[in-house]
Amino acid sequence: MSLTGFVRFLRQSLQRLESDFIQAVGLDRSLGPALAVNGPSLLPQPNNSSEPSFLDSIFWMAVPKKRRTIEVNRCRRRNPNKMIKVKTNIEPCVQCGNLKLKHTLCGFCYEKIQKETSLIRRQIQNMEGRPLNTPAVETVVLYENETPGEADQGKRIVERSRKRPSWFNL
Amino acid sequence: MAVSAVSVAGPALLSRLVGQIQARILAPCSQGSCLHTTAQLNTKNWDRKNRIVYPPQQKDEPPRPAEVFHCRRQIKYSKDKMWYLAKLIKGMSIDQALAQLEFSDKKGAIAIKEVLLEAQEMAVKNHNVEFKSNLYVAESFSGKGKYLKRIRYHGRGMFGIMDKVHCHYFVKLVEGTPPVVVQKTPFDQAKEYVEQLRSRTIIHSL
Repeated sequence: MSLTGFVRFLRQSLQRLESDFIQAVGLDRSLGPALAVNGPSLLPQPNNSSEPSFLDSIFWMAVPKKRRTIEVNRCRRRNPNKMIKVKTNIEPCVQCGNLKLKHTLCGFCYEKIQKETSLIRRQIQNMEGRPLNTPAVETVVLYENETPGEADQGKRIVERSRKRPSWFNL
Repeated sequence: MAVSAVSVAGPALLSRLVGQIQARILAPCSQGSCLHTTAQLNTKNWDRKNRIVYPPQQKDEPPRPAEVFHCRRQIKYSKDKMWYLAKLIKGMSIDQALAQLEFSDKKGAIAIKEVLLEAQEMAVKNHNVEFKSNLYVAESFSGKGKYLKRIRYHGRGMFGIMDKVHCHYFVKLVEGTPPVVVQKTPFDQAKEYVEQLRSRTIIHSL
């Protein structure tokens, strides 16, 4: 019998706490001003319905406090780590004399070889006719007044009608 | 009567008026007044620098080295980014400058290289420079060109005005070997500053 009484006591105290809490927070609607005349008895509600607008949400953004002076800006922009470093690995190409980087091929020589290679490729394209027509043999490029040697017996021959360039050996 | 008097006095009046107008136009040029007189075709200052002619030098004067001024206007690049390239080649010999620009990855390096080659050719052809490698970059800097404005669309109906930046590039080549610049160490700079502070005196004192 004390157990049920105890449980009832607990429930009542919880309800009392809840009502007290609600009254304290102000969500309770019953204690509005009691008027003799029927009027609006509700407390004014806080306006939570509209979304916080764009201009409200900028109050919590990181913003510069002071204008950066030109002296500070110059210190940052002209810092040696931002300046372009002088390259010390430029040297002249042995073949043509143009400048090149040490670890790179000479641009002029590569350009020259690219032109000749594209002409050879065009010749091969004409010989094959359609794509995926490459024969399963090696290819050898022969220039004017050149005959295929012993090593070139089973190979496909691509003829180029000009003198052999000095840089294309064998 | 009045009409005939006006018709007689007319040509004389007109000629006097024209004379006055001519005098007013010519007077500033002859007196060298401080008014900003601009010619019809607006040539900029840097382009005019190639036209100055010095009087012949005396025998005892040291030989004046040849100077060539060249520029390119409205390059599609930022003046701040161009400044880094201009600072790189300042004080270098022209061959070294061309080498550095050839292997630079920047967009402005192409324009500057063309300007340097043009200036070198001008120097040899028109400015009596004997050897095209005997030049060095005395001055090189960039300036702001005329910007085009465009609209950049943001969210929520906002917009920003976008500048399409352009810049000018100026270079002065001088004949001779580039002067050796003594690198001042920070210690030397500090020492100079302290000496400058120590040499201050109290003025108007006894």
